[in-house]
Amino acid sequence: MNPLHLIGRVISNPWFVGVLCTVAAVAAGFVNQGTVQMWCFLIVNIMLAQSINLLTGIAGQISLGHAGFLAIGSYVAAVLLKDYGVPFPVAILITMVVSAMVGYVLAIPSGRVREFYLAMMSLAFGLIVYELVREWRDLTGGVMGMRGIPSPNLNTLEIFGWQVSMEWYFRIMLISLLVLMMMLRNFVKSHFGRAFYAIHVSEVAAGSLGISQGGTKRFAYALSGGIAGIAAGFYAYMVGYLTPESFTLMRSVEILVMSIVGGLGSLMGQVLGAALFTYLPQQLQAFNDYQFIVYGLILVFSFILLPRGIAGLLGTHTRYSKHDQLTANIPDVNAVLSRRDTGSGALVDVQGVVMEFTGLRALDDVSLKVLPGTITGLVGPNGSGKSTLINVISGIYKPTAGTVRFKGQAINGWPAHKVACLGITRTFQDPRNVPSFTVRENILMGAHRLYKHGAFAASINSPAASREEGQFLGRVDALMKEADLIRHADEAVGNLPYGIQRLAEVARALASDPELLLLDEPAAGLSESESERLGALIRLARDHGVGVILIDHHMDFLEELVDEVVAFDAGREIYRGDMEGMRADRAVVEAYLGKEEESHA
Amino acid sequence: MDFFLQMIFSGLSVGAVYALIALGLNLTFWTTRVLNFGQGSVLMIAAMLTAVMIGSGLNMLLAILISLAVAGAVLIISEIVAIRPLLKVSGSMGWVVSTLGLGIFLQGVASLAFGTQAVAFPDVLFSSSASVQLFGAWVSMQYIAVFMISVLIVGLMELFLRYSTWGYGVRAVAHDPDLASLMGIPVRKVVLYSFMFSGLLAGVAGILVSQISGTVDPGFGLHLLILAFIAAVVGGMGSATGALIAGLALGVLEKLIAGYYSPAAAHMVAFVLLVAVLAIRPQGLLGKKEMVKV
Amino acid sequence: MKRQNKTVTFLVMAALGLSAVAMIAVPAMAESDTIKIGMTSALTGPYNEFGEGNRRAVELAIKEWNERGGINGKEIELAMLLDDQLNPDRAVQNMRRILDNPEIVGIIGPAGSGPTLAVIDMAEADGRPYMNPIAQTPMVTYPDGTGTTPRRNIFSFALQNDVEATAMGQHLVENFQRVGVVHESTAYGVTGLDYLTEAMKEAGGDGPVASDSYNQGAQDMTAQVARMNRADVDAVAAVGLGRDLAVLRRTMARLNVNVPLIASNGALGQPFQDGAGELVEGVQGTMIGAFGQRPMREATQDFVDAYKAEYGVDRWWGNDEQNPQLFMAISVSNGYDAANILFEGIRRAESTDPDAIIEGIESIRDYEGVNAVYNFSSDRHHAIEANGVEVFQYVKRGDDYPLVPVGEL
Repeated sequence: MNPLHLIGRVISNPWFVGVLCTVAAVAAGFVNQGTVQMWCFLIVNIMLAQSINLLTGIAGQISLGHAGFLAIGSYVAAVLLKDYGVPFPVAILITMVVSAMVGYVLAIPSGRVREFYLAMMSLAFGLIVYELVREWRDLTGGVMGMRGIPSPNLNTLEIFGWQVSMEWYFRIMLISLLVLMMMLRNFVKSHFGRAFYAIHVSEVAAGSLGISQGGTKRFAYALSGGIAGIAAGFYAYMVGYLTPESFTLMRSVEILVMSIVGGLGSLMGQVLGAALFTYLPQQLQAFNDYQFIVYGLILVFSFILLPRGIAGLLGTHTRYSKHDQLTANIPDVNAVLSRRDTGSGALVDVQGVVMEFTGLRALDDVSLKVLPGTITGLVGPNGSGKSTLINVISGIYKPTAGTVRFKGQAINGWPAHKVACLGITRTFQDPRNVPSFTVRENILMGAHRLYKHGAFAASINSPAASREEGQFLGRVDALMKEADLIRHADEAVGNLPYGIQRLAEVARALASDPELLLLDEPAAGLSESESERLGALIRLARDHGVGVILIDHHMDFLEELVDEVVAFDAGREIYRGDMEGMRADRAVVEAYLGKEEESHA
Repeated sequence: MDFFLQMIFSGLSVGAVYALIALGLNLTFWTTRVLNFGQGSVLMIAAMLTAVMIGSGLNMLLAILISLAVAGAVLIISEIVAIRPLLKVSGSMGWVVSTLGLGIFLQGVASLAFGTQAVAFPDVLFSSSASVQLFGAWVSMQYIAVFMISVLIVGLMELFLRYSTWGYGVRAVAHDPDLASLMGIPVRKVVLYSFMFSGLLAGVAGILVSQISGTVDPGFGLHLLILAFIAAVVGGMGSATGALIAGLALGVLEKLIAGYYSPAAAHMVAFVLLVAVLAIRPQGLLGKKEMVKV
Repeated sequence: MKRQNKTVTFLVMAALGLSAVAMIAVPAMAESDTIKIGMTSALTGPYNEFGEGNRRAVELAIKEWNERGGINGKEIELAMLLDDQLNPDRAVQNMRRILDNPEIVGIIGPAGSGPTLAVIDMAEADGRPYMNPIAQTPMVTYPDGTGTTPRRNIFSFALQNDVEATAMGQHLVENFQRVGVVHESTAYGVTGLDYLTEAMKEAGGDGPVASDSYNQGAQDMTAQVARMNRADVDAVAAVGLGRDLAVLRRTMARLNVNVPLIASNGALGQPFQDGAGELVEGVQGTMIGAFGQRPMREATQDFVDAYKAEYGVDRWWGNDEQNPQLFMAISVSNGYDAANILFEGIRRAESTDPDAIIEGIESIRDYEGVNAVYNFSSDRHHAIEANGVEVFQYVKRGDDYPLVPVGEL
């Protein structure tokens, strides 16, 4: 085993962390105050790194304005204690809430603004806060800074008559940090963590699982802001003096750098990154005039040596399920899906749908009905509009005209995640798994829409949360057995053969307990035995009353499954009926052969 | 009226420089999706070298050419050392760290070689007291020169991007590097050229802006870089004309607010403008909306 | 691959090791026979002009004392010399380290108002004598303003904002009717405007008719200058760094605004002279007068000779081999005086007890320092008074632009 990975294992071991923290807490009484103060700076930096990691590393939203959160939090905390006498733990909690609200508001346009532009938004946020802090002299003291904040550094911080010394302040911070990291770990392993990461990897795929991109980003921003708020509160009391110069753009960038060098996505990496950049400047003093050069070179070359940050070097990966914490009862696969009522009404009813792209009519007056417990096959040459229809039904495209009704309710124009939440689940022509997730985590992600427990319950592993997560983990196991995926359960999907990835995606769709299943060429590239597994999964769904729309080119595969087949050409329906009839239909044959000729030409 | 015109002219001149830097940022962003946080130091290095070389008696034109060559080379090297190796690892965002590191490194080298104090920048384009009367207002020749040169360069770049083979390559790579490579476009070369031009633009901008301020020091450039970021985003990442319009608008707006309301409030204008544009038209004024590909 | 792994292992180990050492390092507690002082300043980075100058001065003072046999037989040692790069957070960390060392007898503080204000409460709570060489805001020494009770252990050798403003304000009121103020948007500039307004009123005039700020490093000040022009000022007063004042002067020339420019001490430094070029002619600036007098006072001359012998004609000295630049008074000799007064206090106290040293310093009268003659007492903890500050003007003599006291024109 790689010795570095061994180090990684040791430092992420809870016992090791526990002992280290206990030692530090005791030692705080014996080392000098400067050392304790550096430890406090370290904790502030760890919290800030965790805050930005949650947003950037997990949810994939780059922040260039975290100093803005730090500034708002610091001044709010300072004013609460200094002017209103709010006891400092309460003040820090209020600060957390205020910062979280700021984060939420900042992310309001995020449903519309994409990656890079959101980063620019955060940049502007940080700079505006900096200017505000400088100009709002009455409240912040402006460029003269704010003095007189009770601080353990000056022996002026008291709570209920007890004067908090630096060492006790450190101990309080240490405990807060431990609680925070424990909650973060649980949170990241919950369906919230998976949703954050899913948004990061593909907003479209996330939407198809019922994960709202806007809502998730706003939540990520609010949480990140909240954590930064806690850090800010501790920072303000620790230094006892605030100046706008501590909240410049460079501060924002420093926080981001800590997190990136530590290893985005890894909770333990953040601790190491923060430690490195808390102590590095002190060590660099030895280089005198060469400090800037050395610091610059370290930044430039750190990534050539450590492409995934320190965490990548030590092999500490964050996992996104509580599989390691819970033991699940594996139910029978028939219990995974609800038994749906196969009444007579149409499950989905597409009426006169037109889909136009600039100058191209991809769907031209298409109508389609699917009953529960039946399988409808869609065939037609490439570009005939099959996938477009699925995109329209699943809410990725908004149709130019026509209606889509699901159980009588018009859903055309709804955002994809809302459609998914109704129980309409789809797969993609090219599998859209999260490549770095294991097969288990990917399939578990399918169940996202079914989770009932909230973020707080997930963070503290409440009994209800654990029960629910355990239940879904069990269902995932049952599905993996049925799909013959169990031997790949804990391998990253991205490293597995194509056929396995497809099966995993279909299993993920089933994990959402769908009512309508939209499968876009699921059998493409599958081996014979894999095709059989796939067929079994589709039948399982049908037998539970799920309506299925199935696109495929393999006629033999369709033959065995479909109740009805619809053929498309150039955005129009050219045939509807059984397979036999289609084979004999001239229009269909021409459509296919015509294509054939073209491609030979 | 004088007052108004003075604000407009100085705003146009400063804004044209923003546009130059923004276009440089744009070029590298198109081809690699990387924002160069070290660009400010490239401005500084070019200006600093020019000042020091002219100060030591070198021919003015030669000094400028050498400085520009260095600026171009710095960006080519940074592409090779600090950006390319990191793009292989997707999602690590290492480029934030490495480009920033390069900027800090350059700053360190400059402080070591030329000291941390501001260095006087010689009068390359007219003297600072040379001014003419335009519509009754005194306008510095330096402003006019800076404005004309910047607009001319941005215009040339726009033509070059639109009609040269390299420009075609840039657009193809921006659209989809893999596809471009399949089409036989030498992606690597296109990227390197775009970095070189980005460096040249930054170098020109550095020299021009130092001409206005009169001094250059190792910390110089960050403030300009931020405003250029904003101009690039407001104009629409991917649009040269957008960068020019946004840069000029930003410069003029800043001066008007500073002149008629208060200089202290002017700094915030740019940021508020950025937020407003992002909220209303996220792709920027002239940017194309990104299509969701499924 | 293997080799790379090894390198990486080494690097990580080294980093972890360094952090570990830093985390557990506890200073040795042995009783020693030197007098130890601590200093944190901007020794490197973009703002090291003052910090590095002060370091040179403090080391020179220590050398001279030790050559004379130390203080009461004990050698002086600059035991802790830390670099804060003018960053407030780093200054706090450095100051904590210094204060944690029980052997440190006296402290020399950071090179600017920002970091100084960040550490001053800590230093006051600690109680050991603290010399403020550079930070110009009077709040460092007098939290409620000059004339009120000073912090017990803080002594200032800086050219205080209010002192500088008093000298400038007097000069402005005597010579101009409509003064506009342009100032930088830092603590120094913002309080500079307040003090200047106060000083002008006290001198019997009106306050400024217009005032505007700019950010450090601004490239162009058209808006500020045009606003001054619109307010019809007959003089522009400015508070800021030399580099920015040069931008101001150039912008004034560009817009044909030909009223006199009277600036704070930054206008007398090299960056201003470099940046403004021949436009310096006629610009006036306030500064501690010590280096502008001919002949110089004896203490000043001695320092000048000693500095030249030790460091030669360096960038603090300036370009003129014969005459040190006036700016040395606030970038170098202030630190020299601060160190000397601290040592003199220790000598008088004949002990290293903080209270005894403070009383020692407070008993100093008519001390011939480089920048001025110093008098301290229990309610007077600052060194430089308005009468030690003069207004100088650049005049054209051939190709040079020497500075001449306005009174001698």
